[in-house]
Amino acid sequence: MKLLRLSCAIFAMSLKADLAHRSNILFQVLLSLAAAGSSLITVQIIFSRTDHLGGWTLHEAVILFGTFTILGGILLTFVEPNVLWFHQRVIAGQLDEVLVKPAPSLFLLSLGRHAPLGLVQAVIGAVIVAWGISLSGDAFPVWRGLVWLTLLAVAAVITWVTRVLVALISLWVPGLALDVVYDGAWQFGRYPVTMYRQPARFVLTWVLPVAFITTVPARALTRGVSPQLLGASLAFGFVAIMILRLVWMSGLRRYTSATS
Amino acid sequence: MTRSLRLIGIYAHRTFLEWMTWRGFLVTLVLGQCVTPVLGFAVWSAALPDASNLSTYYISLLVVQLMTVFQLDHTLANPIYRGTLSHQLVRPHSPILGTLGTCFAERLWFVIIGAPVVGLLVFLSNVPLVVANVLLALPALALAMVVRFLFTLALALTAFWTQQAHGIVAFGATLTFLIGGSAVPILYFPDPLRSVAESSPFSAMLGLPAAIASGSLNRDQVVMGYAWQAVWLAVFLIVTVVVWRSGVRRFTAVGG
Repeated sequence: MKLLRLSCAIFAMSLKADLAHRSNILFQVLLSLAAAGSSLITVQIIFSRTDHLGGWTLHEAVILFGTFTILGGILLTFVEPNVLWFHQRVIAGQLDEVLVKPAPSLFLLSLGRHAPLGLVQAVIGAVIVAWGISLSGDAFPVWRGLVWLTLLAVAAVITWVTRVLVALISLWVPGLALDVVYDGAWQFGRYPVTMYRQPARFVLTWVLPVAFITTVPARALTRGVSPQLLGASLAFGFVAIMILRLVWMSGLRRYTSATS
Repeated sequence: MTRSLRLIGIYAHRTFLEWMTWRGFLVTLVLGQCVTPVLGFAVWSAALPDASNLSTYYISLLVVQLMTVFQLDHTLANPIYRGTLSHQLVRPHSPILGTLGTCFAERLWFVIIGAPVVGLLVFLSNVPLVVANVLLALPALALAMVVRFLFTLALALTAFWTQQAHGIVAFGATLTFLIGGSAVPILYFPDPLRSVAESSPFSAMLGLPAAIASGSLNRDQVVMGYAWQAVWLAVFLIVTVVVWRSGVRRFTAVGG
């Protein structure tokens, strides 16, 4: 509860700072709209040449792309401002400030700064999902929507864990910044994981779990998921958090501050 | 002219050596650039499993991507934001020479790191490369480099007016990926859109050399592609000169 209050306070302060530069809001809206619009045109062109992509129809692919866009917005808003060029903070010994504050260091390190304008992208993603649902022409049961929201929350957790894990590598290899590689790998989530051949599909399911991040939630909304897959996703999310905590505690032992 | 070339060479040599410290990061940059062609190939080989030339096209596209991408939002926009562009402005030559030198050093690093990746892909996929097509594509590749350099430079120079230059350059890269022939090969665009995409600067910067190298275009299309490259080169040259001149007049920096 304390962390939630802290998180709300950080978000409110960041929002106030962002609202001071209103032209940036307009710019972010235009940029996100144009990027999402051209990506949707790409999806339409692909489906003008085929009926299925990895077993997914047009409206399913649109819902998947919408889910991907929502998670991209969440990543941009809550995680990226904290971990972008993280290795420079390690090299400069600037982690001291999160270690001495009276709140969990992992929370402050990975969620202590927000960029609220990124939520524009998440809103656009939600609109795309709604459009995908309307394209299908079918009535979607409410329970599917609830399962989708649950899996979306799990996907947000997995996204946070994987992004922070990639950043934490610099605690062992300070010169290695994998931000660009993560950004590139993230792009694979905009299409269903069933589209990729092996061994890429295995990597995108278990190493960088794009399957759990976008494919599984979108599948839950379009066709529903089995209780087993829902349980496996929840367990995956829980295990991911545990792994992150272990890696952070282990990495912290290697950190030498700039001042002591 | 000779003096300028010598200065560009000196800048390129100096930057190349400076970047040796960051070779690990450069490897990640090259890998990052490989993602979009690989993603495009994965999508289209799943959508059209029987399409011919797809692997040749996307390996050529990877080469074009590695040869034409520029990080000018970092190497040029950041000095504008920090005010350190003033150091370059007081030198007895154009600051663009330093930028050009940096770009040549960047190309050299991308070739050194990217060549083994491309070689491995060619070896593994056993793509049928026709030497005549590759030779025909080389001038288009050179023109694509110049057009994309000018395009990215014009976008990066918006740093004189806005704090959003990084976002603007990233948006330009997104459009190049989506319309330039990476997300969708230009030949696969439906008809009204196809002619628009063919005549767009994004095709001139990315898709055209790859389409020529993979033998996907007939003679008339190749000629038309070169004509559009020449047009966009002239347009971006004028735009860049205008933006640079008006931007430098706005530029202010404190300190010395």
